[in-house]
Amino acid sequence: MISCRESKSVGRILMVLAVAAAAGFLGTPLSAASKAPISFDVWHSYTATAKYLKDVAAAYPEITSLIEIGRSTMSRPIYVLVVSNMKTGTTVDAQVPLRNPRAEGVKNVVPMKPYMGKPGHFICGATHGNEFTGTEVCLYTIDKLVSGYGTDKDITALVDAKAFYILPVLNPDGLYNSLEKGISQRANIMLRDDDGDGKVNEDGPDDLNGDGFVTQFRYKDPNGMFVQNDADPRLMIRIRPNEKTDKPRWSVVIEDKDNDGDGKRGEDPEAGIDLNRNFPEGWWNEQGFAGGSGDYPTSSPEARAVAEFMVTTPNIFMAQWFHTSGGFTYRPLGTAPHSRLDPRDVAVLDFVMGKKYLEILGYEVPAAWKNPGTIPALREELRKTSKNKYAIDRGYELPFAWKVSYDEEADRRYSYGMTTDWEFLQFGIWSITTELWNPAKDMLGLTSSDGPGTEGPGDRADQERLLLQFQDKKYGGKAFLDWKPFKHPQLGEGEIGGWKPNYSNNAWPGEALIGVCDKHYRFEMFRAGLLPDVVINSAEAKILYTTNSARDAAAAVSGDVVNIKKGSGKGRYRIIEVTATLENKGPLATHTARGSTLRGNREDVVWLVGDRDKVTYLQGTPHIRLGVMDGAIRIPGTERGGPGGGPGMRGGGGPAAPAPAAPPQMMRRGAAGPMQVREGGARRQVRWLVAVEGDSPLKIVVSSQKGGTHVETLKVK
Amino acid sequence: MRKHTLIILAVLLAGTLAAQTKLQLNPGGYHGELDYPMSWKRYYAYEEWTKIMRDLQQKYPQLCDIQSIGKSRMGRDQMLLTITAKATGKPETKRAMWVDGAIHGNEVNGITCSLYLAWYLLTRYDYDPFVHGIVDSTTFYVLPGLNVDANDSYVRFPNTENNPREPYRPVDDDGDGLFDEDQSEDVDGDGELSDMYVEDPDGGFKLTPDKRRFVSVEDPREEVKRFRRVGAEGFDNDGDGLINEDDIGGPDPNRNFPYGWTIADGYPYPMSEAETRNVFEFQLGLSNIFASFHYHNTGRLIMFQAPPAVQTQAPAGAGAEYAQRAQQIAQQRLEALRKRDKYIYRAPRQVAPEYQHDLDVQNEIVSAGARILKDFTPTIGGLSGQAHAATYYMFGAYSYLIELWGDPTSEADIDGDGEVSDEEMMKWIDLELMGEGWVMPHKAKHPDLGEVWIGGTSRKHIGRTPPARYIELEALRQTNFVLYAASQFPKIEFGEIKVTPATDDLYWVEVEVKNDKAYPTSSDRAVALRRAVMDKITVGAGGSCEIVAVPKAQTAVDPWNRAAQSEVVAAAGTEFRLKGHETKRFCALVRLKGSEGTVEFAVKSKMGGAAAKKITLKMD
Repeated sequence: MISCRESKSVGRILMVLAVAAAAGFLGTPLSAASKAPISFDVWHSYTATAKYLKDVAAAYPEITSLIEIGRSTMSRPIYVLVVSNMKTGTTVDAQVPLRNPRAEGVKNVVPMKPYMGKPGHFICGATHGNEFTGTEVCLYTIDKLVSGYGTDKDITALVDAKAFYILPVLNPDGLYNSLEKGISQRANIMLRDDDGDGKVNEDGPDDLNGDGFVTQFRYKDPNGMFVQNDADPRLMIRIRPNEKTDKPRWSVVIEDKDNDGDGKRGEDPEAGIDLNRNFPEGWWNEQGFAGGSGDYPTSSPEARAVAEFMVTTPNIFMAQWFHTSGGFTYRPLGTAPHSRLDPRDVAVLDFVMGKKYLEILGYEVPAAWKNPGTIPALREELRKTSKNKYAIDRGYELPFAWKVSYDEEADRRYSYGMTTDWEFLQFGIWSITTELWNPAKDMLGLTSSDGPGTEGPGDRADQERLLLQFQDKKYGGKAFLDWKPFKHPQLGEGEIGGWKPNYSNNAWPGEALIGVCDKHYRFEMFRAGLLPDVVINSAEAKILYTTNSARDAAAAVSGDVVNIKKGSGKGRYRIIEVTATLENKGPLATHTARGSTLRGNREDVVWLVGDRDKVTYLQGTPHIRLGVMDGAIRIPGTERGGPGGGPGMRGGGGPAAPAPAAPPQMMRRGAAGPMQVREGGARRQVRWLVAVEGDSPLKIVVSSQKGGTHVETLKVK
Repeated sequence: MRKHTLIILAVLLAGTLAAQTKLQLNPGGYHGELDYPMSWKRYYAYEEWTKIMRDLQQKYPQLCDIQSIGKSRMGRDQMLLTITAKATGKPETKRAMWVDGAIHGNEVNGITCSLYLAWYLLTRYDYDPFVHGIVDSTTFYVLPGLNVDANDSYVRFPNTENNPREPYRPVDDDGDGLFDEDQSEDVDGDGELSDMYVEDPDGGFKLTPDKRRFVSVEDPREEVKRFRRVGAEGFDNDGDGLINEDDIGGPDPNRNFPYGWTIADGYPYPMSEAETRNVFEFQLGLSNIFASFHYHNTGRLIMFQAPPAVQTQAPAGAGAEYAQRAQQIAQQRLEALRKRDKYIYRAPRQVAPEYQHDLDVQNEIVSAGARILKDFTPTIGGLSGQAHAATYYMFGAYSYLIELWGDPTSEADIDGDGEVSDEEMMKWIDLELMGEGWVMPHKAKHPDLGEVWIGGTSRKHIGRTPPARYIELEALRQTNFVLYAASQFPKIEFGEIKVTPATDDLYWVEVEVKNDKAYPTSSDRAVALRRAVMDKITVGAGGSCEIVAVPKAQTAVDPWNRAAQSEVVAAAGTEFRLKGHETKRFCALVRLKGSEGTVEFAVKSKMGGAAAKKITLKMD
């Protein structure tokens, strides 16, 4: 089992957390003991992760639920752990009764889970099989949430009010090969005959010397492209194509032999496609041919599983896709330039989320973000110095740690079909991709006094050498296998050794890993706190008229005389005025600017539900559309002048944005009429006049797709 | 140079036609219709049409295979027939025609047309030489019902013409937080879904004097019983005061394919629906699809996929005049052509030179189609995630979306003004459908509205899908078009042989390799996709002949006739592609050492078949 932490590391953790406390979200210094303990002294393989998730689900059934959203090529389950108070939450279909269904009786609709009535936060790791630091962050987050629930006020509030969907491993096959077969595999597995010899996946990398790892084989080669590093001859440095050198030249290849006797090594491995190029946004290139991976977007079972999950989980509003490495975050967009984004969305992404992210990571926040009012002046400065037309349009360059993967200076994209763009543009989800792990910043104690400092992206060889020395001293030399002689069946005499796979691009277990996990756990909790929260602030039912002896009546008109015939008794009859104030108490609006234009999304609605046979709606309809409710925070830089401004987000700054009260064009068929409540902002006031027979109960159900659903039964005064 | 007389014997070696056991030479005679009797006077539900498919396959196992390509959302198998003469080769080795019907659930006319095609091919194979030749050389993949859940519902249950159309993914159409909660229902249990009206003195409708239709009240002073139109027949299932505002059926399946997919039309994501994904995954596993037909209703259109348009900048000044003149000339040419053949169609699109042949081929095929189908209009099909866009742009297969049937315009428009008025429609229904087509307005009880009037609309199978009497006619002429296209699939053959003495014992042997059909052996798009497998010609010698190696190039065998050059066949073979109606000339330099020898040419084409020709050179 897993041992407790040593006191030295505890001290370090406390120091880190003390710094973090100043920056924002604070968890308790030491979380309460978990009923499913976990340690971050090791990396968790696919098998260990699956077991952990099942243990947590079994130990915390009241706040977790484990679901399988699909299977990988090799039939390994892809798990999502839902973390939310399972006893709370409601959805519209649980509140509105239906009747007179079609005789055909097709059962295609599944009742929604109660937690789908809460704002959703999605966190995903290991899209690439060898980038599993994100998996660790997922597990760390789960550990924090389940062990803090009930003891930590903030964690308890979040787990009660939100639905966390944590997907530690999107690529089970890639992760399995990376940690359980010793191969570093980025792609998924595909059963595909790559070399056309009629056999499938018969020739991939091999562990030639049986040490459990697929590392490297180096051999002397006058045409080789590698030389040994002067300072540390264990390191093999690649030289440039035409570079001349006196040093002996080597070739360095992955540990691999010819498995099928066709003269080639590794020509038909298990590795399939890059999953983060298999998504539908920006998959095609400009010539109308495939740019992304796979035969078509979502062709891989893994991508399809998560796509289907996104569609059937419409309350997800925040998403984080963890990758490695680099120590920075990509926010939208990578497949299109800045001009495709609504300035209101950019303001939230940069001024709110980006600012917090930089603070947590310890980077300088750009002046433009601290004081968006100065942007026009800054823009003028930038016009003189920058070649980046998008930066000029924005008013600022993007910093190292919070940027886009679109190459703004060259004005082109380099990748196709990634998840961030897909979710942001096609679902209206606040979706980001964090490339975890920057040894220069995350490896505490790496920058030593004997060697060049490496702040931010430094010289790779130097950094690698520092890492090598570091692991000699602090990791018992376990991350690097010394070169040992080996005779390769095809290539002859040489040596096997090199970095153990995965150490070059994942946070090393122990302190470094915990540091990375903690920072990003806190950032995700900050983002969870931004989620909208649509509640019923007040609801009143006032009786305007009542009688206890109502009867049916029929009226016949002839000329100026109306003859009334009394009918059967109806008992109690009241005319009631119902008023309610609904409010979005969360910081963000209930849709992104982009999301409010998508037909897959819906406006916020409020229902007044009662017994259909006993309630007549005299004024107001059973459900009223509320548009998109603004958030509580004012996004800096988007005020439209004047004292006091207006609530929430308004168009400002950049190019003219549509007024916030305009009805979102989201409805597909059916009534696409004007918004029934003519208000903007974070509040709505609604009113009905109903006639109620008997003591029939009335309830108000407010439902926001991303902002949660709440119900209140009315007490009729 | 001595002249020798050579006797050349050429033997065409081709696959011998399998013997037709029941060849019928009388066109009006029996062609096997009753070998498997079928009624074409009705539409078939899922259980029925799949049973017919299974029965056909059992009766013609040497021509037919059946399989499920996957399950729909509600668990029904999508059944596919693979039709070809197994005796002449396995299905995957021959060029294939893909035919599917009813991707939209309510467009079930496609099921009868696809099923008819299969039945026609199988029953007539032994009797009809035209069918026999096609089934020998071509594979047909026939998927009569694609959107099986909705197809079955449409036929078996009361429905309007418009629903169910999509697969059954739950979608919140009216944004009220509920999914598919307010569907259309048969309120009065008469088996039809019509419109509902309520008696209302302020309403805007009245009954016609014959009490058959509701029409708008023109004169507000008219004294007549008035009605208010409520909408389509159904209950208010969720109590929100609206009726049928969130019916079953989610994403449009014909916007679900990957090519040209957009989030606006193709929500939620490409290939999100099991029904369409099963089809595309199956097609991905085939490399032999050469053309495809996709059936829809309605509109009498032949929508074909054309290569991408080239964006030409609007020329200015003298260039603009020139462009205008060029357009006029093209228009004049088209009109001249139309005087000879009124069905000729020329696509109004400019394409890049490497795609010109695909456009020419499509022009030819759809012009013939317009002639066969008589009142169908060819038009270029869109992209936007449609099935036939994927077939052409991702596989390079020539694809056609047929909008079948159409309002009975030509039938019902008796005053010839090009429009069908309500009166003409009623007359058509009464006279030509023998009273079958109309729901008479009648009273009924409605739990939410009280008393309603239901009726005044046509029944199912009038507007969108043809009434029973037209089913077979529509199916037969669609089969005609499909078989015409199949008959134009490329066929690689040898043509004339020419032997020219070069010197003493050297002879140039030239052969023509031709494709007389309209389709090329690979489409331009397949070439652009690098999917195309090139045709290949090889040459070998026997007896006392030997091939003399000369560099592979265009060779002027007769230097005075440069127009008639031939390509030398390389030792390892020469690759080429034959366009439609194209002939290429190949040659080999042959040395006749003794008195007799042979030269054999062989051509292999993935889509165009194979052929071989053996030439005997004999010294006199």
